[in-house]
Amino acid sequence: MGVEQNRSLGVSTMNPQRNSASRANWDIKELLERVDDDREFLCELLLIFRRDSETNLQKAKAALRDKDLPGLVRAAHTLKGMLRNLSMNRAAEIAYALETSAREENCAQTESCLAQLELALAELLPEVEAQLAEVRA
Amino acid sequence: MKILIAEDDNLSRKMLEKTLCQAGYEVTAVENGDLAMSELDKDEPPRLVLLDWVMPGRDGLSVCREVRQRSERAYTYVILLSSKESKAEIVEGLESGADDYLTKPFDVEELKARVRAGERILDLEDRLVEARESMRFRATHDLLTSLWNRGVILELVSREIQRSFRENACTVVMMCDIDHFKRVNDEHGHAAGDEVLREVARRLQHSVRSYDMVGRYGGEEFLVVLNRCEPASALARADNLRSVICGKPMRARGKSVSVTVSIGLALSSDYQNADADEIIRKADAALYAAKEAGRNRVRMARPQGEMHKPVEKAVALEGLGS
Repeated sequence: MGVEQNRSLGVSTMNPQRNSASRANWDIKELLERVDDDREFLCELLLIFRRDSETNLQKAKAALRDKDLPGLVRAAHTLKGMLRNLSMNRAAEIAYALETSAREENCAQTESCLAQLELALAELLPEVEAQLAEVRA
Repeated sequence: MKILIAEDDNLSRKMLEKTLCQAGYEVTAVENGDLAMSELDKDEPPRLVLLDWVMPGRDGLSVCREVRQRSERAYTYVILLSSKESKAEIVEGLESGADDYLTKPFDVEELKARVRAGERILDLEDRLVEARESMRFRATHDLLTSLWNRGVILELVSREIQRSFRENACTVVMMCDIDHFKRVNDEHGHAAGDEVLREVARRLQHSVRSYDMVGRYGGEEFLVVLNRCEPASALARADNLRSVICGKPMRARGKSVSVTVSIGLALSSDYQNADADEIIRKADAALYAAKEAGRNRVRMARPQGEMHKPVEKAVALEGLGS
């Protein structure tokens, strides 16, 4: 299931016309409901996300380089949890596919998933910054 | 109520912490299983724990198993946190002792409802433990005085005497009886009599060391057991108990009632290898002698035909008590 999902996600990631789609991939409404519309708290969470998503992405990349699949599974698992908590649903699905393929020791798939995840995270960051700016304003 | 959260994902931990704090719980949040265990090892640990399944070091499952192995502690309600795909693992989690599970990302209302369900179970457990403790207390204590009841104090005397033979030490067995107790009942009523019994019990209990034992032997009879007692100081200690009772009148039903006790004592060191029954009989005979001699006094059983003969010191003490 993870593989299939991943393939389709891969296609959408490559789609250049996905500026608005990206917003749909982050369900901010759902997230605000989860935090009871507490914008200050949202800000706190996004700051944690900004720091921890980068740390875990680096961990995942290092694990792939070192062929440390259990380490890769752990980093992907953490990223998945974080992304789901923030309702960053598409990136969360990629992280899930990454976790699954690393667990199944599917190296080619793992490599492709990680690249997609890096891209998805890079796309999310400006939106995160925009949210942070909005709350702080 | 105290809640412990063990979750390595900073974001998830923060969200759980915030939600539960806002719901009024006292929350401690840690980032791995080892820290969770050290929180649970503290005095008055959290009773409800949210454990993430996947954590570095000791994972949620290991923490859960360890918690369940420590049966002597109060029950800990464990909720395992896992991601939504790991439903198969949930069975394993519940088998290892978790009470409930929650899939991430959690829904705030569901989280609070599951915690409340845990609280209900813990509350039920507290009430059961309380009922059990109360039954245990009733089974071992005299309900009027809260001293050990007859069955327990007899068992304790026996154990102490056996030990003193093994350790070549001395256990002192004292039989204390309230003098003319019937008069208290007749003159002041049974309720006052009960208050006198309670007060005598309280004074006896407060006048012995924490490791000595006091029990209610019968109606107005009390058994006091002093363990590892110097034989030479036994009489003085018995007389101290006697004077604690007669030294100050008691308040019973708003009236002042003067009460005295007679005490007969026997030393295990005088009766090598005798059983508890025999030593109690000696103490009882000495009590009888104290009553015969005029009450409010102390008599010590003497072995080999010297029974009840007041030793020199006892004569002096007797003077005090008359």
